[in-house]
Amino acid sequence: MGTPLTQELLTLLADGATTKVLATIDENGSPHAVAGVPLHAGDTGNLLYSEYFESSATSKNLTRSIWFDGIVAITLSNAGQSFQIKGRPLKNHITGPLFLKLYQEIRAIQGNVNLAAVWEIEPLEIIDESLDTRRKYEDTKRPFFTHLDRIAR
Amino acid sequence: MAQKEAGKRKPELALAEVVAKYPGFPRLIALKIDVQRRGVHYTERALAAVDYTIHQMRSPYLFGSRDGQIKDLPESLLLRDGTTILTDPTPLDQNPYHVDLIDGKFALVDKGEFVEFTDLWPKPLYYDKKTSTGIPMSHIASARPQRLNVFQSSYCHFWAEDQGCKFCDIVTHTKQQKNEKGVPTRLKPSDISETIREALKEPGRFTNICLTSGSVLKGKELFDQEVDFYIETLQAIGENFTTKKFPSQLISSSFNEKQLARLYENSGLMSYTSDLEVLNEDVFNWVCPGKASKLGYQEWKNRLVRAVDIFGRGNVGTGLVSGSELAQPHGFKSESDALKATLEEAEYLAERGVTTVYIVWVPRPGSYFHDQQNASLEYYVQKAQGLHDLRVKYKLGVDFDDYRRCGNHPDSDLSRLL
Repeated sequence: MGTPLTQELLTLLADGATTKVLATIDENGSPHAVAGVPLHAGDTGNLLYSEYFESSATSKNLTRSIWFDGIVAITLSNAGQSFQIKGRPLKNHITGPLFLKLYQEIRAIQGNVNLAAVWEIEPLEIIDESLDTRRKYEDTKRPFFTHLDRIAR
Repeated sequence: MAQKEAGKRKPELALAEVVAKYPGFPRLIALKIDVQRRGVHYTERALAAVDYTIHQMRSPYLFGSRDGQIKDLPESLLLRDGTTILTDPTPLDQNPYHVDLIDGKFALVDKGEFVEFTDLWPKPLYYDKKTSTGIPMSHIASARPQRLNVFQSSYCHFWAEDQGCKFCDIVTHTKQQKNEKGVPTRLKPSDISETIREALKEPGRFTNICLTSGSVLKGKELFDQEVDFYIETLQAIGENFTTKKFPSQLISSSFNEKQLARLYENSGLMSYTSDLEVLNEDVFNWVCPGKASKLGYQEWKNRLVRAVDIFGRGNVGTGLVSGSELAQPHGFKSESDALKATLEEAEYLAERGVTTVYIVWVPRPGSYFHDQQNASLEYYVQKAQGLHDLRVKYKLGVDFDDYRRCGNHPDSDLSRLL
């Protein structure tokens, strides 16, 4: 079952200043991460990733993931906030209303570009990777993971 | 363990068993194959949810359906990975999958068990239009999820000499389509050009145009007139593009170098396919008597290889009607023999830049082989993997005939990973 996207994440997804990274893995388990990807929240609570290139490594890795139940990782980062979303590719839209709508929207903004597919990714797990959050966690839950000079008199 | 289907099939592995046995093969592609092997039956509940304004209903096609009827039913299905399933309505006694409605969504169901959600093909906007000569545009170009099909002539001259391919029902179906739906058997280039122009008005809807028709034997040299028809049609289609070449596929008779050069130089065609149908000379001679007598297996094959010099590696293909090589009494006696022979021949072609794809054979009522049966799911899975592995081994692309440009070849569905 999926995990709902919080309002915080929806805001990050909608903010053009947010850095969005999509990481997939190939058949050998080698990671492939791409930054600045077109990613937004869909109406169904899933993430929508617009893939421009059908021959891209990401496209092939997503195909492999949907075929063999693999997962992907998405990082959203903006002004000190950083979240990682583990997700499962659920559907590849190559035609139909959603694809045609995004195809036209992207071309209206970017000109004569191609859109290969829209991948629908179901969020499975959301991890707060913001620096403040991580610091608080280590300070309180993993007190051995520090250097002594930090607490010296 | 094993499953006996339709009362007359030999025991064979069912979908779940095949998927378990071949964990490196995508379940969704195995499902596609199985749905194509067995066909579909739309339940009343599913049909009640069909929306004629957004779903594509069955439109003219070169070949008939498994039930031998032309009914107003959904054209076909799409799986969630973008895989197209070309399948058709099938009588219930042949054990088809059911397309039902579950939680408000279309779903494939087998023996009452949910298998996978599915989408119906979306209807393109031009399907509601007519040409200026008054012909429904859906009768001029039929749509797949991302491809336009133009069947400029649906008569095959081999049939006139009673030498049609034994799996084929082209002429039977053409007559039925003409009588029941008024579908023209020859298309005018101006109607084709107008229809393509209209189809292109829907942004993002299509990525490829495929032309095919029956063989035309006439001309100074064998097939000369067929080449003329294609050039005329391709030039009419080309009027709609800013580039000389446009993503396209021709599936035609086997042309000589002079004909191929003429075709390439005088049209926007980017790829060439000529179907050998079965990859064994003896079986070919029996299954395709017209092709065998007019040109012969070896020359058909050699012409494919020569076409690579004109269209380039990975832009030339041959199609197989997979399973027909097992028809009896003169086909292969075992699936393992058929698989070995097919892959050996496919490798010979792959080494020379020709890619091989297959369709899942459906014994159709209007064909000579109407009372035969197709192969097991396991056979089709092994064959798809084998053909894909050859493309990997020889670094051979199949972009012009893949899951999206065509959608009817389980083996080239796997090439999404190339």
